[in-house]
Amino acid sequence: MRRFLDRHWYAYAMVLPVVVVIAVLVLFPLAQGVFFTFTDINEGNIANPILDRPATYVSVGLDNYLNVLSGDASYGAFWSTLVRTLIWTFGCVFFHYTIGLGLALLLNREVRGRAVYRVLLILPWAVPAFISAFAWKYMFNAQYGIINQFLRFLGLDDPPVWLGQSDWALVAVIIVNVWLGVPFMMVALLGGLQSIPGDLYEAAEVDGATPWQRFRNVTLPGLRSVSSTVVLLGIIWTFNMFAIIYLITGPNPNTRILVTYAFERFFSGASRDFAVASTYGVLILSVLLVFAGVYRRALRKQGEVW
Amino acid sequence: MTAVAAVSALVLTACGGGDGGSASGDSGEITFWDTSGPNEGPVFTAIAQECATKGGYKVKTETVPFDAALNNYRTAAQGGQGPDVFRAEVAWVSQLAKLGYIADLAGTELANDTSDFLDTPLGSTKYDGKTYGVPQVTDSLALFYNKKLLADAGVEPPKTWDEVKTAAAKLGGEKTIFINNDAYYALPFIYGEGGDLVDADAKKIVVNSAENVKALETAKGLLDAKAASTALDPSNSYNNMQAAFTSGEVAMVVNGPWSVADYLKGAAFTDAANLGIAPVPGATAGKGSAPVGGHDYVIRQGTKAKDSSVKFIACMSSTESQVRIAKELGVLPTRKSAYENADVKANAVVSAFEPVVTAAHPRAWIPEGGQLFDPLKIAYADVLAGKKDAKTALDEVAKSYKDTVVPEYTVG
Repeated sequence: MRRFLDRHWYAYAMVLPVVVVIAVLVLFPLAQGVFFTFTDINEGNIANPILDRPATYVSVGLDNYLNVLSGDASYGAFWSTLVRTLIWTFGCVFFHYTIGLGLALLLNREVRGRAVYRVLLILPWAVPAFISAFAWKYMFNAQYGIINQFLRFLGLDDPPVWLGQSDWALVAVIIVNVWLGVPFMMVALLGGLQSIPGDLYEAAEVDGATPWQRFRNVTLPGLRSVSSTVVLLGIIWTFNMFAIIYLITGPNPNTRILVTYAFERFFSGASRDFAVASTYGVLILSVLLVFAGVYRRALRKQGEVW
Repeated sequence: MTAVAAVSALVLTACGGGDGGSASGDSGEITFWDTSGPNEGPVFTAIAQECATKGGYKVKTETVPFDAALNNYRTAAQGGQGPDVFRAEVAWVSQLAKLGYIADLAGTELANDTSDFLDTPLGSTKYDGKTYGVPQVTDSLALFYNKKLLADAGVEPPKTWDEVKTAAAKLGGEKTIFINNDAYYALPFIYGEGGDLVDADAKKIVVNSAENVKALETAKGLLDAKAASTALDPSNSYNNMQAAFTSGEVAMVVNGPWSVADYLKGAAFTDAANLGIAPVPGATAGKGSAPVGGHDYVIRQGTKAKDSSVKFIACMSSTESQVRIAKELGVLPTRKSAYENADVKANAVVSAFEPVVTAAHPRAWIPEGGQLFDPLKIAYADVLAGKKDAKTALDEVAKSYKDTVVPEYTVG
């Protein structure tokens, strides 16, 4: 051990600052958050040095987890919220990927004014999310919004109340999030497409491959490493996408996903219930960890080193 | 002056105590968070500057959106930051007092003589027997109507919800009244039936009482009878209501005095005399009852300018200031003496609202008061959209109150 340290002390000295920073910035808050889930901490009993008040919260054991996992509506109806979160996540990422790939394929050709198209298509990504959210909120207005005016013009007498008390609200926020997320996918996949050597297509063409066969056997495998990364990123981002839903529909139970409910408990009208909000945080983290594990295993089976 | 301020700041830092308010030091600079919005804000800012000049301190007015104000204030106050003076909605005061974010005004001139203030608004400033705020304005909900539309149809302003239904035949059905599906706008229906959300004295949750079920059914009944319209998307509801009324598309809405400035900008009310104000309809005539609203001035616990803040609030809430605010904005003073002023009496909005406010239904001034709305908001929107019947929706609200808002209460 002594000899080991003598030989490698400098390596340990070099990584020590990083370890300390990680511990302070990541591990300590994480541990504190997990600790909160076993207490009844809220804004009224947390310690506050500025107001000269000591902490008075007490341990409640597993009560928070039991309350949340019971699926009780007063605690955010966890299971149905989880299902909605999964619908939201996979719905959004599916359309992000397919539309993004389609646009990337279009833009990868030599067309006149390609640069202009690229700028136009990337615009949704460049607009701050809250501005897009408010713009879409106006467009989805059931009475005066342009979307329903258009539907009425098409002869639909009773267009849906987009942001009301029904599943249309979820459809509406998915549409907005797809609009917002496609540019990123498009740019990432365009980069991937341009890294596929042109000879492969030529060789395939010489061998008599149809366009569909070229797409299946050259394009998709060539994109695999980019795709696996952006899909994983997309899923994690969308799973935790809070701003769009909250800005467009507010605390509407029909668009509630896990993170928006955690936020409602933490900040919104309710009692700044740090304990239940942390419980949600821990459960969200657990779901994402399980997902990342499964995803990695699936990729490894396909021969991906990651 | 600067030297004095610097020295006192030093003294304060040296003390380092948690109770900065009672220290003699005073920075002489106040930050005031105003939540009144673009119509009223400029008048409050102007008066604040005059008060500062007269009182020999500085005031910086920051406009904070009403929706975000409570949250921002709580976050800031918890970290020892934030404004020195805050315009808090009446339901927020007891909550902020309980959390220790606002200063007890005992021993200051603000708590000494409160006899001139109206009782109902004054009630909102008390928590646990202590005074934490000074009433700024009071308000309530009333029925606003388009005089021309009603006269053309030969309809008197309705006194009951049944009369609204009858009037609908002449006023063009859904164009009769706009119902906002936000929780606060459910209160006139609820209070009008004799219901309430909680009974604070008996520590009981009464939100799912038979009266309340009937109240929400009345509201839904107006929609079903095609005597009212609503925006079923809650996030657009308020704006749609304002748009529909100001353009003359609907004849009546239920709203508060703060909306008058908005209405007078609209096409339907270029002639201000066209705007009629009447008490909200009830289940029976004369039984209409709307909630008390309004705002109080509070001082942040731990402010470095408590003395100046006290002077500032005294000046802002003086009879003279209240008279001026009432005259310029048509909002309702909280001082009895302000109502005796001839100009205030002559203001059409104030005189129309005075009986409404006097008859207004007090809310439970409990720390959880402001948190009663979120569950009710969802339930009310569900009922109006026809997603749930009133009983089921209100039972869920009662359960939610019991689980997360007032766990020590019984469901009665």
